[in-house]
Amino acid sequence: MLNTIGSFVLPLVLALPIVGAIFVMCTPKTETTLHRGLGLAFTIATLLASLLTLRYFNPREAGFQLVFDTEWIPGLGAHFKTGVDGISVFLVLLTTLLMPLTLLCTGRAIEKHVREFTAAMLVLETGMLGAFVSLDLFMFYVFWEVMLIPMYLLIGIWGGQRRLYASIKFVIYTMVGSLLMLVAIFYVYVQAGSVLGTSTTDLERLLTVALPYNAQVWCFAAFALAFAIKVPLFPLHTWLPDAHVEAPTAGSVILAGVLLKFGIYGFLRYAMPMFPHGAAVWAPTISILAVIGIIYGAFVAFAQDDVKKLVAYSSVSHLGFCALGVFALTSYGISGSIYAMLSHGLTTGGLFLGIGVLYERRHTRRLAEYGGIWKQMPVFSGLFLIIVMGSAGLPALSGFVGEFLTILGTFIAGDTLPAGYDFPMPRLLGALAATGVVLGAIYLLWMFQKVFFGKLDKAKNGKLPDLNGRELATFIPLVIGIFLLGVFPRPLLVVMEPAVQKFTRDFGRRLTECDGPPHTYGTRSCDPSVKTQAEIENNLDAVARGATGVSRTLGRAGGAAGAAGGTGATGAAGGTGATGENGAAAANGAAGTGRPTP
Amino acid sequence: MSFNPAELGYLVPYLILAVTGMLLVLAEAFYHGEDRTALASLTAAGSFASAIASVVLLRQLEGNARVPLLGEMLVADRSGYVLSALFAVTTGLAALSSPAHQREHDWQIGEYYGVMLLSASGMVMLAHAANLVTVFLGIETMSIGVYVMCAMRRRSRRGNEAAMKYFLIGAFATGFLMYGIALIYGAGGTTKIAQLATVLGQTRNPGLVVAGGFLLVVAFGFKVAAVPFHMWAPDAYEGAPTPVTGFMAAAVKAAAIAAMIRVFGTALGGDVVPFGMLGWASPLVVIAAITITVGNITAVRQDNIKRMLAYSSISHAGVLLVGVCALGLGAPSATTSLIYYLIAYSFTTMGAFAIVSYVGSRNRERLLVDDWAGLGAQHPAVALAMTILLLSFGGIPPTGGFFAKFYVFKAAMEVYDGQLLWLVVIGVINSAISIYYYLRIVTAMYFREANQPFAPTRSSGLLFVITVCPLLVLELGIMPGWWLKLVG
Repeated sequence: MLNTIGSFVLPLVLALPIVGAIFVMCTPKTETTLHRGLGLAFTIATLLASLLTLRYFNPREAGFQLVFDTEWIPGLGAHFKTGVDGISVFLVLLTTLLMPLTLLCTGRAIEKHVREFTAAMLVLETGMLGAFVSLDLFMFYVFWEVMLIPMYLLIGIWGGQRRLYASIKFVIYTMVGSLLMLVAIFYVYVQAGSVLGTSTTDLERLLTVALPYNAQVWCFAAFALAFAIKVPLFPLHTWLPDAHVEAPTAGSVILAGVLLKFGIYGFLRYAMPMFPHGAAVWAPTISILAVIGIIYGAFVAFAQDDVKKLVAYSSVSHLGFCALGVFALTSYGISGSIYAMLSHGLTTGGLFLGIGVLYERRHTRRLAEYGGIWKQMPVFSGLFLIIVMGSAGLPALSGFVGEFLTILGTFIAGDTLPAGYDFPMPRLLGALAATGVVLGAIYLLWMFQKVFFGKLDKAKNGKLPDLNGRELATFIPLVIGIFLLGVFPRPLLVVMEPAVQKFTRDFGRRLTECDGPPHTYGTRSCDPSVKTQAEIENNLDAVARGATGVSRTLGRAGGAAGAAGGTGATGAAGGTGATGENGAAAANGAAGTGRPTP
Repeated sequence: MSFNPAELGYLVPYLILAVTGMLLVLAEAFYHGEDRTALASLTAAGSFASAIASVVLLRQLEGNARVPLLGEMLVADRSGYVLSALFAVTTGLAALSSPAHQREHDWQIGEYYGVMLLSASGMVMLAHAANLVTVFLGIETMSIGVYVMCAMRRRSRRGNEAAMKYFLIGAFATGFLMYGIALIYGAGGTTKIAQLATVLGQTRNPGLVVAGGFLLVVAFGFKVAAVPFHMWAPDAYEGAPTPVTGFMAAAVKAAAIAAMIRVFGTALGGDVVPFGMLGWASPLVVIAAITITVGNITAVRQDNIKRMLAYSSISHAGVLLVGVCALGLGAPSATTSLIYYLIAYSFTTMGAFAIVSYVGSRNRERLLVDDWAGLGAQHPAVALAMTILLLSFGGIPPTGGFFAKFYVFKAAMEVYDGQLLWLVVIGVINSAISIYYYLRIVTAMYFREANQPFAPTRSSGLLFVITVCPLLVLELGIMPGWWLKLVG
């Protein structure tokens, strides 16, 4: 494949942080100001370079763009292949945006080993970006693991009291999952090698291979374990609160803001496209676990006294929405899921940064120690309120759009699923998930009230300086982002749409290919030998209905959801859908009119 | 058998090692002064010259040519030269790490270097072995040298214990090896490895082949320290001087695996294995599984770094045995993966033991994990080097250890019908376990405060090894393509 100018953008984005890390390590140990400056400079350079992707990205195209492809390990067939599509391009931007903000806000909070801290953050950035943009299974795995060690060091060196325990727990949890994924990768690699005639780990070529049914089920399970731990899906979430509580602010921000997204992203990019039959088998389990996570996370968050733990459990709840939206397999659900990830990155990143600001001033994270902060730090409190509202899903702020779309996608899932894919009780799961929104608002506002309102009765809270310029510079972009995502979802959804539709279309098509030995899904039997033309057409029809989702069939879909029992919000969606051509406009309209009440 | 002097040209790497080794033994007789750094430098020079000779000869070799030498006692081929270059380089690294340790712990004996080179010549013989007799000779030449090296630190009781244990067990294993070879010879009527592959397939005495194969499994099990034949290893590794431990863990083990590639991959591979359940592969897969698991789980409980690395090397032997099983069961990329693993593993091991030598000193050897607390703050570069090496041991990208493990397991997956899938699953689960104890050292180095300032053993040789090994390990992980092409 010929590499054009645009194709060099992503390798540049990958190279900048690692070059920065090497550069920082070469400077003298005592020059901490220089280290901080260099870290900031390189992350900002990475951000600017990543903005170039938008310059070369064609929003109408569904496939991978800006593809850079060169052979990496000839003996293995592994390529250094990078590219983005509508699903990953914003995640890349989210990562490059959060990094400089995090470093900026960290400022002098990290005092020991500043050089190593900066280098670890930069290596982490390369790892994360690499995992988002790689289009090669081997390369993905390498970057996936590369992320692990800097995060381990961040928690272990710069973390809190129980950092040893938390860091090891984080590593072991993640490793167990990813090593079983490695076995599945071996299997896919060897199988695909024998089918294709040449060994390759190129994702696009692997996707042309239909694996046997049983193999898909097992391989999906192995991949899903790795991704579910990362999401984290209930009951595999227990590492998260520990890691968050012990990690330094910067670690928490990146962990919540970016690392958790790899779970959902992995499902979308690897597990589901490669093993559609496996996804079909496991979808009910995962969706139910996701809903349990939404509600359980919210309840446990409510019970926390430690602010960081509260936000950590809120992540469990929020990422549950994302998982649910993906497995509902509607365009709404998937777009919403990606949107919710972006929003979660900004809001939860902001929450952790805010907690960091408080912690620097008071050196405690206990809710009981706070109260009445608003009087001392009005600017901070106002900005933090917007972030909290964004996280809670207040309309006109970022959180609402994603949650609304995932719930809507879940509601209508029953109508658009391709044959062979079973999504259990979509209405019930959607309704239960919607209670998560309410619960989210409760615990977040409760937290806000405990910290910022009430009497200023603790002497230590008496003299807290408000945000300084550096901190303002970190919060303002976040708050602007949260507003923009909330008010103008359309530009982003338009870019996502082609890729999301391609995803659902390809998924359905591969599901109907009906390969492997005869088997049954629920009531439908799938036997390659008796596949009739009518059946294929029927399946493709169902797929098409699901795929065109966001733009064309909005009125119908909205109507269906309305029939399902949605009240205000779905009505709003249906209403605007009749006039607006695009689903994004519908979501936009809905954002202005009201929030869904189950 | 006819002797053609031109064939000696192919054996230059071997000759350089053997001749330099003998010269060094002589040189010690005329050597004045305490410090043996000069001898170590000569050893390293000889080793690296031998390695260069191997690479030159490798480049002259066409494609997959096999040149039988000395009446098919030895063979010159790609894998042989790659491995002999590896053994020579490993020997050179061991020689460079040694003088500082000798100086600090008062065992400045010059014969050590001569013996080391002679032992290395045995390894090169193994790399090129084309006959079961040369396999035997190579193993003995190599082992006897290492027994002596273990015992060199005469005043150390643990060193003596280590040498004694190693020697007795080694002698015991030799019996198995000899008997196994005898039985195979009885069945096939030849000891030539290339011929055995075809002859054994039509033997009328399959019982002899089965018994001989089992005996060889036991013999090599002792040599690579596979469970349950590993009992000597932790004591020997702990008791031997640290540079010798590195040499034993890296080069000796690698040479034994090189011999296994020849014996099990060629002589007993192919059609001979399918004696069904009775083939040598059946005990070997079980041994591989037990070795990985027991090695890892025992390593978790070790507080002494040398013992921990000893058990870790046992588990690595298990992974290598997975590769050998894959080779015997016909996985096409098994040989390449094994050689690659040996390269990555050797550099990792040499580097790690060099750092163990570096961190300790005359007064305090600092062999406990707790002794390493705070190294990251006081000596960040060394701690970083050790971290890279430990990550490579644990198989985390982007290090050579990761790609090596990846490649061996991939080879195991190539075996017909996924027969070794269960072994791969056991292997990767163990990788996760191993991360725990490797990270214990990282944790100690970075996350804890030092109770006492470090007084490391400084020497240019050690620093060279400490610098080169991590860089090579990283290079192996990031750009494995070049190495794969070199190997085959």
